[in-house]
Amino acid sequence: MTSMPTPLLSIQDLFVHFKKGREVVQAVSGVSFDVVQGETLGIVGESGCGKSTTGRAIVQIETPNSGAVVFDGTDLTKLKRSQLRKARTGIQMIFQDPISSLNPRRKINDIVAEPLDIWKSETGEERDSTVRQMLEAVGLDPEITGNRYAREFSGGQCQRISIARALVMRPKLLICDEMVSSLDVSVQAQILNLLEDLKARYGLTVIFIAHDLAVVKNVSDRVAVMYLGRICEVAPSDMLYSNPAHPYTEALLSSALEPDPSAPSARILLSGEPPSPINPPSGCRFRTRCPRAEDRCAREVPELREVGPGHSVACHFPLVRA
Amino acid sequence: MTMASERSENFPIHDENPGPLLKVRDLRTTFTTPRGKLNAVDGVSFDLARGETLGIVGESGSGKTVLSRSIMSLLPRSGLEQSGSIEFEGIEMLSATPDVLRTLWGAKISMVFQDPMTSLNPVVRIGRQITESLRLHTGMDKTEANAMAVSLLTQVGIPSPEQRVRNYPHQLSGGMRQRVMIAIALACSPRLVLADEPTTSLDVTVQAQILDVLAKLQEERHMSVILVSHDLGVVATRTDRIAVMYGGRIVEIAPTDRLFRAMAMPYTKALVASTPRLSQPSHVRLTAIEGRPPDLVHLPKGCAFSPRCSYATDKCHSEVPPLTASRDNASHLFACWNPLPSTPVAITTTPGSSAS
Repeated sequence: MTSMPTPLLSIQDLFVHFKKGREVVQAVSGVSFDVVQGETLGIVGESGCGKSTTGRAIVQIETPNSGAVVFDGTDLTKLKRSQLRKARTGIQMIFQDPISSLNPRRKINDIVAEPLDIWKSETGEERDSTVRQMLEAVGLDPEITGNRYAREFSGGQCQRISIARALVMRPKLLICDEMVSSLDVSVQAQILNLLEDLKARYGLTVIFIAHDLAVVKNVSDRVAVMYLGRICEVAPSDMLYSNPAHPYTEALLSSALEPDPSAPSARILLSGEPPSPINPPSGCRFRTRCPRAEDRCAREVPELREVGPGHSVACHFPLVRA
Repeated sequence: MTMASERSENFPIHDENPGPLLKVRDLRTTFTTPRGKLNAVDGVSFDLARGETLGIVGESGSGKTVLSRSIMSLLPRSGLEQSGSIEFEGIEMLSATPDVLRTLWGAKISMVFQDPMTSLNPVVRIGRQITESLRLHTGMDKTEANAMAVSLLTQVGIPSPEQRVRNYPHQLSGGMRQRVMIAIALACSPRLVLADEPTTSLDVTVQAQILDVLAKLQEERHMSVILVSHDLGVVATRTDRIAVMYGGRIVEIAPTDRLFRAMAMPYTKALVASTPRLSQPSHVRLTAIEGRPPDLVHLPKGCAFSPRCSYATDKCHSEVPPLTASRDNASHLFACWNPLPSTPVAITTTPGSSAS
């Protein structure tokens, strides 16, 4: 983390807790990471690990309890409402369910143009040509799609429209939360390829949140693995997948199923399921399911520390030595 | 265990009659919708052997779920038209009366659904949801059935089952609920279990556990299983045979190893190629299939995949290819006018170079 250029986004010790009746859900507990201009950071983990909450806390949809979200030199958590609205135009988010993210009764042209109508003082002509360019960029024919309603489109096409809407403001940072999870594989591949193209074309920085390990690997330069509100491991993606240092990463990778009957079936089976974030285990949160856990894991919270270039792990007994 | 002996009396483990457990012939299931007739299953035929696991793979709208519900006779009657034949242990399912179906459901055929939260009754303790079919089909009394429920929960890997039988579904996690679903489905030792996307709503680490439980119990009980999934990874290592569906039809069916070694249908190959893999390096460009799955109300003429297929010729656009056996392997069938060469070659061969 020392030799990197100034990050576009820097998350520092982020905590997001929700009240649920008398209990507190510790969704995100002390997450820190940087995202450098032009890179794609993948965040992967199982349901309830806090990956989506982290994404939403970056754009302040969820208000962090503490911690800083420094985007382009400004701490978003310190801004007033009106300042935040303005700053947020530089960050756009794409959600999982493309169909319910679009208003079914509005025309595609209007959906994509809305951010412009709010923020830019463009003439009608300029606005129309920007929308047309954007629709073309995501692979839709503006003549055919522009005047149709969102309800007329399939999931894959709706996701293209969502991407067009997100990019029309020319954001610096794009946060994709499970953006291909509800799509069929054949369509998923189209959208992933499109994302790579657009990232190159517009010089985007991307945070790609998903539960699918293979999808995350495909698009990411670096990957962070989360478990119960904390980051267990961060590494360049090829390194993380070939040399996992955290026992959880290793187990996660070995339980992924490959479309290949000859794939090695020697799997590390985790027993049980992730504990509740309402009452997480003391010390290392993974220790209740960890095959390597010892007494120390219950007492001390493992800090994220470097075990290789760009490779950090939060474990007292990592699988690789520094 | 006195229970075991009683159970085997009620459910002889060894079937006397040989031959396939399930025979599906030219099954067509259509629904009348406001947009027109929807051909959800469009002429599907296959056999399922006793003890066999058949994987059915396809994208949304390929007809895989309607097919499994047709086999189970679980489809809503309104607007439904069916033809062809589904023969299960000599019983024609399509013409079976509700009374006959009730004796089969749970006892001989059962189903594990995708979403355990909505499939379990939220206001009934899980113990009773398991014993319900046991008492109905086997005439066990309450104590016997309760003991059986505890034993089933143990078998599906639920810790402290004596306490768990008194829980309601909301007190269990997603993985635990799916285990309960499996326990309910297997309670009466059915001959056939239809598992429709059984792990889709679960996390990867839990998914592996559930598939293992299902495989273990299947082996112990010599059941046949139809595993329906959109995920090639789920079926690749857990099945004896795989049927690939597209546009309501089976487009390729083969023993699992053979399918992955020598896929003949371009769609199967494209499906595999568009799936990102852990073994590939980052930023590999995926081979996407252009376009999208067909509209079942307006199926394209000829082969349903032809509008998206890079090998398609005029014939593909006009005539439906029949499901025929491969020349070198009678158990490998595919529906394609221009099949990929069946030589099990290395991945380095470019598809373009093999075009005749």
